Amino acid sequence: MGAFQWLMKKITKVFGRSTNALFYTLLYREILKEINEISKNEEDSLVILREIGRRAGYESCERHSNIFKFMPGSPKKVLDYFEILWVIAFGRELDDYSYEEIPKEDSKYNDYVLKISKCPVCAGYGQDEEDSFDFNKIKSKSTEGLACGLCGMLESVANYILKIKRSDYRIEIVEQACIAKGGDCLQFICKIHDYKQWQELMDSRAKIRNALGINFGERLEEEEIVQETKLDIIDKLQDVISIDKLEEYLDEPLETIKERISDIIRDKLSMEPDHFFDYFRNYEDDMIKIIGYLGIHLLNEYGGLLEKSLKNEWFAKVFGYIFRQLKEMTLLFIPLDVIRDYNELLVSFLDGLAPVEMVDNIRQFTGRDTINYIFEGAQMALENLGIEFSELKENVWEELKKEREDDLIPSEISTIDKTRERVPQIISIVQEILMIFTDILTLPIRVLISESHYGLKTAINSVISEEEGLYGSIRERFDNIFDQIEEIRK
Amino acid sequence: MNFSRKELIESDATMNQMRNAIYELARLMEKNGVSDLNIRLRGMGQEMGKTFINYWKPTENVTLSNVKDVLTTIYQKILNSSISIEIDESQNVIKVRDQNCALCKYHYDDIDIAGCEIIIGMVSEIVSHINKESNDISAISFEPFEILESQAFGNKTCIQVYKYKIKTRA
Repeated sequence: MGAFQWLMKKITKVFGRSTNALFYTLLYREILKEINEISKNEEDSLVILREIGRRAGYESCERHSNIFKFMPGSPKKVLDYFEILWVIAFGRELDDYSYEEIPKEDSKYNDYVLKISKCPVCAGYGQDEEDSFDFNKIKSKSTEGLACGLCGMLESVANYILKIKRSDYRIEIVEQACIAKGGDCLQFICKIHDYKQWQELMDSRAKIRNALGINFGERLEEEEIVQETKLDIIDKLQDVISIDKLEEYLDEPLETIKERISDIIRDKLSMEPDHFFDYFRNYEDDMIKIIGYLGIHLLNEYGGLLEKSLKNEWFAKVFGYIFRQLKEMTLLFIPLDVIRDYNELLVSFLDGLAPVEMVDNIRQFTGRDTINYIFEGAQMALENLGIEFSELKENVWEELKKEREDDLIPSEISTIDKTRERVPQIISIVQEILMIFTDILTLPIRVLISESHYGLKTAINSVISEEEGLYGSIRERFDNIFDQIEEIRK
Repeated sequence: MNFSRKELIESDATMNQMRNAIYELARLMEKNGVSDLNIRLRGMGQEMGKTFINYWKPTENVTLSNVKDVLTTIYQKILNSSISIEIDESQNVIKVRDQNCALCKYHYDDIDIAGCEIIIGMVSEIVSHINKESNDISAISFEPFEILESQAFGNKTCIQVYKYKIKTRA
């Protein structure tokens, strides 16, 4: 599994609001039954369920639009990531599926057929008395099955991504086989249409819905993308820095990264790199602070997850304590030689990109200065995002004591018990984060040594193998962190 | 071989889009002349409860002495919610406060219904079903009463209220 798929799945799973899967399935069934109470016609009910799924999916995308800015923009790629679409819409792994490309003449894109052998919404359908929606009443072969609502959600997510990436294509997803209807699997066909064909399809669907005699309210129309402003640098950078290109970035050595950064500055900011960096001449310390500041904000651009997490007072405090601890421990635990290597790495990075005078000024900084500036910048960004550093106690234990006294967490289980339950997870998270930093901090030495030979990837994977190398190690640690966060959220 | 419902009990699903779907359904119902929305949503929950109990049961008996533990278990297992519970014996009501309700998150101006009507319908049905088969004279009967507060109404938390009766007093 690629780094992008892995990251998206983890983020969706950890930060989504989950319930028991049977609850989800039964709720889905009940929604269909209620629709049928209104329409009194099984075939019509499935058409309505699809529309409800589409609207629900669209609303969800609108609320989390930032995360989709980093998704791939071509329809073919969106379908390649169908597994992620499934996780986003349904929140669980896509088990056992096959994927077939159906050639389509005179068309830029082929059709795709997906066969999914296990369908959670059809699971056990018909075995309980309450499964009263009768699929035997459906006569038309073209009518979709029970997963049509899910189909609407998937279609919405796929097309929202294409819309936000300003693609001229849209994807139609139709359920062709349904287990609850007697099929041997859940089967979707995905067709890619240009925008004109898509509008025609939408109009024809609207006509079908209108003929049902059901009042849906206003038709859900795709809104125009708001024209970007010149100042929206992040938006411009997102066109180039997309997290589905993570693998590419990991494959590229330092020189190629420098070339890429130069291209971004030329293309997106319309200026030469040395002109860009010249703005920071004699303000080098501020520039380094900006790196820390932008680093945090860029991290937050991945779906605004950081900002949303920090809205929760408890999370904000934990983040604050972890950050403060990292700030203190980095200088305590990392040998100055390593920090010096970092500084040299920064100098090597700027050499050729920035004016000579500026590079010389930065060369004067000690490694300690650089680290402090980066942390200062990062702290400013975290304050912007909601961490009140001034309100943090001396240490996390005092904070916990305060919560007990204030009785802020009303529950049958005492705060002490709740805290005791959470402490192992918090400690594990802190430990894993520290280990990640330790792993990453070994990178500069490897980069500098191996740069002239095999580049960044060699450095990253120089331990044993790709999976067991630095990338594998970091990924494993993030897996542990996501697991611990999931435990805490439960 | 497809999943069984027993298998689904052991895994989680993300509710974000399904939660939106409930409010889309509520809009559809309103626009098409369904007036007793809260009764309909509770009914959906009751139907879910009837099926759910065939695959998972938290206990064999629910009395006033264990009702807090039973509710905590149901909310935790089915909804992944950590709740706080208050029993008002003078009014015979149980108030459940859920700070992270699975079915309510956003305040909608155009709908005046809370998704957690479904939850109180389902939980009541599960408890009633358990006690229907119980011979314990102190077993309690349960019914959905009201949604006192909801994030869907703009409140910070959801407070779901149940009415109970002890069988012996009946």
